Amino acid sequence: MNVLYEWLKEYAPVEASAEQLRKEMPLVGVTVETVRPAKNGAGTLMEIDVTPNRPDLLSHYGVAREIAARYSKPLQPVEPAPKESSTPVGESGAAVEIANPDLCHRYVALVIRGVKVGPSPDWLSKRLEACGVASINNIVDVTNYVLLELGHPTHAFDLDTLAEKRIIVRTAKPGEKITTLDGVARALKPNHLVIADARRPVALAGILGGAETEISFRTKNVLLESAWFDPVTTRRAAKELGLRTEASYRFERGMDLEMPLQAARRCAELFLELAGGELLAGALDIYPRPWQPPVISLRQSEIERILGMALPREMVERILSALGFKGTRTADEAWQVVAPGWRRDVTGEIDLIEELARHYGYDKVPAHLPETRQPIVLPPHTAAEAALRQTLEAQGYDEAISFTTVSPASAAPFLRPGEELVRVHNPLSEELSVLRPSGLLSLVEALAWNVNRGQRHLRFYEIGRAYTLRRGTLSERRVLTLAATGLLREKSVHEAEQPCDLFTLKGAVEAVLERFDLPAPTFRSCDAAMFHPPQRAGVLCGEKQLGVVGQLSPELSAQFKLRQDAWLAELDLDALYAAGLRRRRFQPLSRFPAVTRDFSLLLDSGTSFGAIRDTIEALRIAELVSVAPVDRFRGGSIPGGRYSLLIRVVFQSPERTLTEEEIRSFSDRIVHALEKKLGATLRA
Amino acid sequence: MTSVADKTTKTLEQLNVRSSESVASLFAELKSSFDAEAARAMTPDAWKELRDRWLGRKRGLLTHAKDNWLLSASTSLKPEAGKQLNALRAHVEAALEERRKQLEAAGVAAEALDLTLPGLQHRAGFRHILTQTLQEVCDILARIGFATVEGPEVETDYYNFEALNIPEFHPARDLWDTLYLDHTAKALPDDLRGARSDPNSLLLLRTHTSPMQVRVMEKQPPPIRIVVPGKVYRHDNPDASHSFMFHQVEGLAVDRDITFCDLKGVFDFFLREFFGPRTRTRFVPSYFPFTEPSADIHASCHVCGGDGCRVCKMTGWIEMCGAGMVHPAVFDYVGYDAAEVSGFAFGMGLDRFAMLKYGIDDIQLFFQNDTRFLHQFRR
Repeated sequence: MNVLYEWLKEYAPVEASAEQLRKEMPLVGVTVETVRPAKNGAGTLMEIDVTPNRPDLLSHYGVAREIAARYSKPLQPVEPAPKESSTPVGESGAAVEIANPDLCHRYVALVIRGVKVGPSPDWLSKRLEACGVASINNIVDVTNYVLLELGHPTHAFDLDTLAEKRIIVRTAKPGEKITTLDGVARALKPNHLVIADARRPVALAGILGGAETEISFRTKNVLLESAWFDPVTTRRAAKELGLRTEASYRFERGMDLEMPLQAARRCAELFLELAGGELLAGALDIYPRPWQPPVISLRQSEIERILGMALPREMVERILSALGFKGTRTADEAWQVVAPGWRRDVTGEIDLIEELARHYGYDKVPAHLPETRQPIVLPPHTAAEAALRQTLEAQGYDEAISFTTVSPASAAPFLRPGEELVRVHNPLSEELSVLRPSGLLSLVEALAWNVNRGQRHLRFYEIGRAYTLRRGTLSERRVLTLAATGLLREKSVHEAEQPCDLFTLKGAVEAVLERFDLPAPTFRSCDAAMFHPPQRAGVLCGEKQLGVVGQLSPELSAQFKLRQDAWLAELDLDALYAAGLRRRRFQPLSRFPAVTRDFSLLLDSGTSFGAIRDTIEALRIAELVSVAPVDRFRGGSIPGGRYSLLIRVVFQSPERTLTEEEIRSFSDRIVHALEKKLGATLRA
Repeated sequence: MTSVADKTTKTLEQLNVRSSESVASLFAELKSSFDAEAARAMTPDAWKELRDRWLGRKRGLLTHAKDNWLLSASTSLKPEAGKQLNALRAHVEAALEERRKQLEAAGVAAEALDLTLPGLQHRAGFRHILTQTLQEVCDILARIGFATVEGPEVETDYYNFEALNIPEFHPARDLWDTLYLDHTAKALPDDLRGARSDPNSLLLLRTHTSPMQVRVMEKQPPPIRIVVPGKVYRHDNPDASHSFMFHQVEGLAVDRDITFCDLKGVFDFFLREFFGPRTRTRFVPSYFPFTEPSADIHASCHVCGGDGCRVCKMTGWIEMCGAGMVHPAVFDYVGYDAAEVSGFAFGMGLDRFAMLKYGIDDIQLFFQNDTRFLHQFRR
């Protein structure tokens, strides 16, 4: 809302400069965004940010009321006194009828005959233009001027274009249309409230007038409408018709039911002054739902309970009356308060307390910390999330945070069988029109973004959410997503370079899972379509699949413009959190030495390390501590179809030093089992 | 004149040495000759040469001295020659060992060890600056009794708007441009949808984390003191200060006798802890449908200290947070008695907090995951 400082001062005679108002009025809740000279020299323009609850501030008079209250100055009244002719308004032949009194609580019509439509004087058009309203002609300009002055929307009809000079406020009939002032023909729905004459709709109630009945230079006789329309009806219609006007903006926020007559008379006063003519005596004032102001009890005890301090009685009364509230004291520290018609937002005691608090000054309310009566209970997964972050950051993974909405084309390859994408109804763009079904695609995008900017060695983790539909049910899951590409370690004088591979991610997944109270994971080849078939696996704990790990398929690498091999993993965080963190139990330390034995094995190419470990563990040697693969090679002296694997086995007893004989017996059993079960041969 | 080294090839007799005193001075001569040579042996090669010349098993000077001055000495001179030779050998060996150590120490420093090479580091991953900020905010508030809870990002109209006193077709809805989903509340599991959500209303991406106020109060009686961090969504076109996705921290305290003074106290404490001890706070009247009285909370500009600068648009103050006393209508929705309990709520934009604290000028940087950005903020 743009207001002119000089115009405000006509009602609020304060000394404060516009700049001072900009600094001081926000402290009572009137936010002045900017102060600058109007381009056309009409004065100093102040831009006011009005919240939806305060339609009374959408006018100079309303803003002036707050200023007058803030600086304890009397607000100058607006008391229009247009000269009326001796002819009663009824003799014009005009008639008003409200068919839907629930949607139109009041309709005031005045008739002015013999006006001379022409351009407005400079002072008027300049004020309008400064406030952002185009000057049209003296009649229309006056209605807009009064809108800016008092805040109440009015509308002038050319009386002679109204069929039978009748005004009927009713809802639209099926199939009805209207061409509005902006020249657009609009189809109406039965919930749209219209102003009709005897034949057709002539205006959209509270939104915009019709083209066929507008004021023109031929207009001689004017019917001026000043009414009150239902906020919700106005807002719905304005939304459905895609029309937002100064009038609808105000009616949907709730106008003052006591204002229509005053606003109409103010218009008439200015018509007579600027366009001549005669105002017929009286008004057609149909007022089926008179304003019933709420009577609100206000107690000092409640002020104290909410604000934490009492306000002096005189201050309570001074603030409320400066803002137009009427009241009586019913007890020493209690009042019955009646809200003015322009403050429909004030309906309860709490609303009055806010009025008092803001004019008393929030800054004068003391500050202290509340007492704490209960301990803090952390959500169950707090510790688990901290453990995840610590584990992954220690391994060099950077945290990513990505957008939830993505493009359908990038999302679709990451859907699992039976899942559908969740669509956004009103997306900002096609690129952001579905919710991501997995965190994987977000990290692929993060990798591509960086690689395309020269950052080629990357590891990321993201703790986020994924959204899918399955059989019509929407699921919002928590997921942990990992990604790696480029080098795990770059070459330096100290170290050789080491590229990322599937085992980089397998290691990270194992490290994460180890923190949780879950069986040791197994990795089983799977058919997840986003991964490259030779390098993809499901992550299982027991029989339950908790996630996937794999290399991004070449097709998707191309689609996401990622020009490096990349490995990704995703784990179901809800399952991890449900399992909880692993509890640690002390294991006694052995006082006896551990013994290490290496076995250099020659194996068939199809024999896995897992099979060797399982075979050795199946021997149930109580003293077995660990089995680890140390070195592996093919070719050279190794025959085709076989490979060589060096494994390191550690034995230790908690009770005694193991003898040479015992170690030899363990070794023999291991070699024998590997030979017999897996066809292994011991080299050298 | 014959050098003392040459003399070792001759016997005592040939050298005409006949007394013990003469033997001693001959050895003294040899010792000073060694000392002079040792003083010049400053490289490992020279050291080796020195060692071989004096201690060489076959042709070393001391071997010669042993053969010619001791073994062939007369019985009367033997004891003195033996004593002198042992002393000299001990001296030579000790001096060589000493010099070896010196040369080794110097050699490592000169050739092997380059202390200017970078140390070997294992780079830990970086936590996102928004997560760090979120944790800082939650940690500060935890110290005054606020527990962190999380909620769903897909919400129903009821929790996001209606139960927060924002009915359909209320003009206040214009304050939140909402992203709706193509699915109705029927798609949500019953426990998430709640009993009061209209199953036929469109689901939406929460526009604030305030719905958790309602969800928490529905489930537990007062006292309540929670913070709810998380992602929120608005139908906003992206630019340097707007993102359709950003992060909010919502707070709620409900108890008997919670007042506006408490809200002010919490923010005085919180903003000072977060932005520094010289931060001043200011409460300015505002409007939110779910609080009354409502306030915008401003902090004195941490860049200019309140004098006015570009960051604070010359006002000296920066808008930080919306807050207020919980509106009685919200208590009605969750079945609390508004005459018995009172409370305050607040909501702040985490992204904005991080931007202000670290001088970040583009909100989009948070979501590009560019490592040049992420790696600037070591925890």
